[in-house]
Amino acid sequence: MKQIQAKWLKGYVRIQVTGYYPELFFDLCVRNGVRVWSIRKINQTTCTGDVFLQDISLIRRLRKKTRYKLSFSKRIGAPFAFRRIGKKKPLLTALICSLILIIYLSNLIWNIEITGVRPEVQKKIQQTLSNEGIYRGRLKFLVDSPDQIQKKLLEEHPELLWVGVQPQGTSYHLEVVEKTQVPQQEVGKASNIIASKDGVIVDMYVEKGRPLVEINDFVRKGQTLVAGKLTAKEDEESEEQKNGSPPVAAKAEIYANTWYESNLSVPLETSYEVLTGEESNKYYLGISSLRIPIWGFFQKKYEDHQIETNKHSLQLFQWELPIYWIKEEIYQLEYVEEKRTVEQARQVGLHQAKEELQQMIGRDAKIIDQKILHESLENGKVNLHLYFTVEENIAKIQGILQGD
Amino acid sequence: MKKWQQHVNTWLTNHLKLPSDVLLELPRITTIGHFHAYVENHRGLMLFSDQEVRLKLVNGSLVIKGNDLVIKTLLPEEILIEGKISGIDFAPQS
Repeated sequence: MKQIQAKWLKGYVRIQVTGYYPELFFDLCVRNGVRVWSIRKINQTTCTGDVFLQDISLIRRLRKKTRYKLSFSKRIGAPFAFRRIGKKKPLLTALICSLILIIYLSNLIWNIEITGVRPEVQKKIQQTLSNEGIYRGRLKFLVDSPDQIQKKLLEEHPELLWVGVQPQGTSYHLEVVEKTQVPQQEVGKASNIIASKDGVIVDMYVEKGRPLVEINDFVRKGQTLVAGKLTAKEDEESEEQKNGSPPVAAKAEIYANTWYESNLSVPLETSYEVLTGEESNKYYLGISSLRIPIWGFFQKKYEDHQIETNKHSLQLFQWELPIYWIKEEIYQLEYVEEKRTVEQARQVGLHQAKEELQQMIGRDAKIIDQKILHESLENGKVNLHLYFTVEENIAKIQGILQGD
Repeated sequence: MKKWQQHVNTWLTNHLKLPSDVLLELPRITTIGHFHAYVENHRGLMLFSDQEVRLKLVNGSLVIKGNDLVIKTLLPEEILIEGKISGIDFAPQS
């Protein structure tokens, strides 16, 4: 049995035919390919039936050849419904406006919450954020990704240890952890200074406490360098110590030469990629998995390139609409191949090792000497065994355990 | 010639068990109780009122009688009639 489908969607009209034997008009229609349903006879000369909206013009043409009278009594279906809504212009405009407004408002930043730090730091962070374009009433669209915000905040505020940026609907939650300043040794809390590494002392500045070592002394790791107790051991039991000078917090900077060894191998042939600085941008409008290019059609295509894609999605309340604004940054890459001589490789190795060491021991320390203990060429690589002498502060505070 | 073809068709339906409505161009009428009648292979509508539907056939006509008859679907070769059907008659070619 054939069904007539999608009646409502296509829209249909109830037509009334008047004349002698009106049903024969429907028969004529059917023979010309018009689908007709719900035919009813009202009386001897009138008959009603439903036909699709799209067939109306054909029916009109057919009627001209006959003597029937045609009238339309009902219009049902989506096309008519749309037309009716379309006629109510104010309603339609209001509907569209409100939809746009809702989408617009749910893409604004309404709230920025910073937790975990003191109010003054909060204020500073807020200032940085608004300089970066993150403030109340800003479109979320134009704001960098959370990772970038995190990075920027950490760059701007060295006193922060960690920043967690979490966009939640229309608000941003920033969880901030401040670097806890190394707690100042409380005044009066007795402490010694010990060596944190083996080394030969080259310089000492003792502010408080009684130095136990001298310049050019070799000290072992853990050895006490400056004592908090001001009196020597022999006098410990004397009355004077008990009454007068209790142990103090020793404070000193002890610079010593310390030694490091490191092994590394440097290949004689290397290849690496460099960004040439040439870049082009492309913009897309994405709808679910579809990407419609909007801008940047005729740009140079780079043979080797690196693509960075930024995706901003439109939001409605807490839901993400499957509509994206995609920005593609295409950077040109260049492969560089380099061949080194053994001498160059050695220099590179030395430089690399120095950098690594400096990173490990901190910026305050100075590398004063380096030696190549062993060097060998193997499988196109130069293996180096290096030895460094470093001048650094080896002072380390250690509390004095008060005897019970 | 036409008679000969008819003979062949009758023979085919009898001996090869082919559906007779297809070969002989006869109507196939399906009724559900007394309220639905579905006629295939008709050749056009001749008359319609809420009491009676008259359909053209290849050979003669088909008369469906009843009350409150409504044509639910009308297609070039198919028709679905709804209502209280009281009788289906074949009328020979007049």
